Amino acid sequence: MRRGLVSWSREEVPQATLDTRVARLQQAMQTARLDAVLAYTSFAQPAPVQWLTHFVPYWSEALAVVLPHGAPTLLAALTARVHPWIREVAHLAEVVAAPRLGENAGAFLRERLVATGKDAADLRIGVIGLDALPWSVGEPLVNALGADLLVDVSDIYAALRLAPDQAELDLARRATAIGEVALRAIPTTAVRASEVFAAVEGAARRLGAEEVLLRIAPDFAQNPTLRRMERDMPLGERYAVELSVAYKGSWVRLNRCVAANDTPSSWHAAEKWLAQTASSITVGEASPSLAGAPASSKVNAWTLEACVGMYPLSVVAAHDRPPVLALRAGSLAVLSAELELPDGPWRGSVPLAVGTAGSHSAMLVS
Amino acid sequence: MSAQLRQERTTRLRNAMADAGVDLLVVPGDAWHSEYLRYALDVTPMEGQAVACIGRDGTSRLFVDSPAEAARFAAELSSSIQVSWSPQPLAETEAWLAAHGTAKAAMAAPTVAPSRLARGPLGADIAATTAWFDRLMVDKSAAEADAVTRTTALADAGYEVFRNAARVGTSEYELIAEVEAWFRAQGCPENFVILGTGGREVRGMHPPGERRIEAGDLVTTELTPCVDGYYAQICRTLVVGEPTGAQLRAFAVYQEALAAGIAVVRPGATHGEVARAQNDVFRRHGLGDYVTSAYTRVRGHGVGLFVDGVHVLENVDLVLEPDMTLIVHPNTYHPEVGYMVLGDMVRVTATGCEVLTRTPRDLFTVPA
Repeated sequence: MRRGLVSWSREEVPQATLDTRVARLQQAMQTARLDAVLAYTSFAQPAPVQWLTHFVPYWSEALAVVLPHGAPTLLAALTARVHPWIREVAHLAEVVAAPRLGENAGAFLRERLVATGKDAADLRIGVIGLDALPWSVGEPLVNALGADLLVDVSDIYAALRLAPDQAELDLARRATAIGEVALRAIPTTAVRASEVFAAVEGAARRLGAEEVLLRIAPDFAQNPTLRRMERDMPLGERYAVELSVAYKGSWVRLNRCVAANDTPSSWHAAEKWLAQTASSITVGEASPSLAGAPASSKVNAWTLEACVGMYPLSVVAAHDRPPVLALRAGSLAVLSAELELPDGPWRGSVPLAVGTAGSHSAMLVS
Repeated sequence: MSAQLRQERTTRLRNAMADAGVDLLVVPGDAWHSEYLRYALDVTPMEGQAVACIGRDGTSRLFVDSPAEAARFAAELSSSIQVSWSPQPLAETEAWLAAHGTAKAAMAAPTVAPSRLARGPLGADIAATTAWFDRLMVDKSAAEADAVTRTTALADAGYEVFRNAARVGTSEYELIAEVEAWFRAQGCPENFVILGTGGREVRGMHPPGERRIEAGDLVTTELTPCVDGYYAQICRTLVVGEPTGAQLRAFAVYQEALAAGIAVVRPGATHGEVARAQNDVFRRHGLGDYVTSAYTRVRGHGVGLFVDGVHVLENVDLVLEPDMTLIVHPNTYHPEVGYMVLGDMVRVTATGCEVLTRTPRDLFTVPA
């Protein structure tokens, strides 16, 4: 649930940038002969609508409707009382109250598209994330329009997201900077997970984080698995914290391993290896080269994530699955890895922007 | 959560499945709608999607879209539940279900059930399945209501933190940062919070923005912490500086309405009656327009494994029973002063209700 700063800075995300994103989608719609595209949003599935309009719901759900021309219309299940707030934080042609979201979307599309002379039976409506669309919205939409009219366009959307604009890159850098500062706020005297979480979360939110997700492996010696804090836990001599932070819709992940005594030299070697591995990711390669791991260590797991789906970050490649897609030059991604070092486990994450052919990827960390 | 409560929920779920003739229950979840998965398996997705296939015979399978979430769930769940991840968890779920095709399967929760799974045979009984699953969560056991009671104490304490941090010059997001950091310091992993700051122009609450608190502001908030999966909410209003006579007179209506609503809460009463009792107070004060949907959403709602349970509205006929937990809140816009909120958690008892919220129902003030 979005508990952090939700606001629209025209300096950070100019209206023209949002217009360009919509125009790119509209161009793809024309190529794919789509009459409209629907994008669902809840705070669990925020990505496409936030990218197109800057809107993220703190509660409830909505559908953004992209027609061949103009800014999107938001059909919002939120009450009309919050429409002024929605207009403050998002760039939209209009906000329409839609308490029965799927049904209202069907009626809206029929009205707007059939009015242009289109035969209702000939409509092609793209839906980003059709498979994951909640059935409470999907069923009335299918009933209103017919299943044959609805086309999943997740691949079209993913292709657009693989080429971020400057605003996205700047936001990702800002999110990374927030995360780095927040992780440095961990008190050296912390003995319980709650102290770590309080310090990191407070620091991140004071810097303007839109959302903060924290996971912790409180005692590496016991279990290196990152956990949600269901209740407080004592910290072992070595522990790890993963911070996922959102800033104006841009999500990154960062890890920090903490040792009670001096940072082990093996960890320095692991960090160096991860940075080199991240920078070696080049366009067209679906998986990173893992060569050069620290001596006598084992790469237990790795993931490469990018914002290409409905959720903040989606796995595009991992150690135990074939790659889903190949990143492009400039694509924003996060490489995470878990190592078993001679003296115990280690984990790290690096947000990055994929380099052009023949050049290194640029890490977003300082 | 205690092993006893976990077992209690498992037993109730299996009995409900048996009553419904369901051998295999498909339970989806995500970061917004985690309540069904939480009830069934005591896990909460932080990101992505999760689909559980729960057998009445005790076998269970969980499909997720992230190796990190898979590892986390595997560590949190008993070893009898197999967890796997895939970039295409819905396809994996379909394949697994096809391999168990002889079982009578049903899916719950259309608010989070993926269309890919629901547009097949699983969608046929989704409404009926969800109805009995929702009933399980509304009809809480005493142990569940106890959990809500414990969380309510945290909500009370959290509001005190909010009140102490609300100062002139503090931005909304800085204020919430203090509150969230405090909740994490208490070992509380989750809190739903919205707020409003300003004067007569404020029509509702929202996530924190950049506005800085000013002298004379009304500052409203809903805090809804979550412990062991159970939420509890508090709604309060404070004034930055001395309240005006108009603000005090306006707030008195909310206090009267809250008391009237709570007075109705007892076994056999309906959500509709609780709403009507509150609304009638506003109507008596000539504020009937302000209990309509133009100015307010609901007059309260169930609270438990989900933040926003069955609504308290005049047309909702849910009958209250012991150990149900809800918040009663006559939150709405007042034409003379702006948006005000006031809400207390209550637990239905055998003869009436217990008010769980301890924070006084005052119009609080903080220094200007």
